[in-house]
Amino acid sequence: MSALRFALLVQGPPYGCEASAQALLFAQALLARGHRLSQVFFYQGGVYNANGYVCPASDEVDLVAQWRALALAQGICLDVCVAAAQRRGVLDAAEAQEAGKIGHNLSAPFVLSGLGQLAEAALSADRLVQF
Amino acid sequence: MNKIAFVFRTAPHGRATGREGLDALLATSAFSEDLAVFFVEDGLYQLLPEQAPAQVLSRDHAPSFKLLPLYDIEQIYFCQDSLTARGLAADSLLIPGQPLAAKALADTLAQYPVRLMF
Repeated sequence: MSALRFALLVQGPPYGCEASAQALLFAQALLARGHRLSQVFFYQGGVYNANGYVCPASDEVDLVAQWRALALAQGICLDVCVAAAQRRGVLDAAEAQEAGKIGHNLSAPFVLSGLGQLAEAALSADRLVQF
Repeated sequence: MNKIAFVFRTAPHGRATGREGLDALLATSAFSEDLAVFFVEDGLYQLLPEQAPAQVLSRDHAPSFKLLPLYDIEQIYFCQDSLTARGLAADSLLIPGQPLAAKALADTLAQYPVRLMF
């Protein structure tokens, strides 16, 4: 079977439900089988995966760190819907400054982007898988 | 380009799923006219008129569904079984749509290789 280009849509937070963990495992599995992962788009509660303030105990899985590591190792875009993120308090430095907030919790490789990125992924990927 | 179906299956306001699905649908319509929208199960409640969500501290996003025809989104389908189970009439909802029985619904949905559930 020829390699497929996947995009993932993640709508669950990094803790409290399994959606993000399943998406991460799926991403690792498809890459291990030689497929490509062009983009991961975080929407709805999925934007919390970009919250760098997540601090799990040392013996627990840190999904935020794992997404970050996967993206850096594989050169994958981690797009976070800016409108969904603003509503949920996930801000990069520029958004935080504009909103007059004292801290920010989103940084590269997570990037705030628009729903147009999701549309593009849905229109062009060989497979779009929603978690 | 893939044909995309947006499937609404959750009631409004208990979760923001429908509202954010609508945002995604409207955004995607700027890139493609080959879209279809399906309302199934509790997703039909998204289209009830005269919602008063301010009372539960929620935003009234339902009127934005009326933008679909203006955005050239014309393939709008309702699950007939879900309508019947909920005592809803298609013509009482905010926008017109085509009720489909289960088999027709499945066949129509199968024409869309990408399906986003909200």
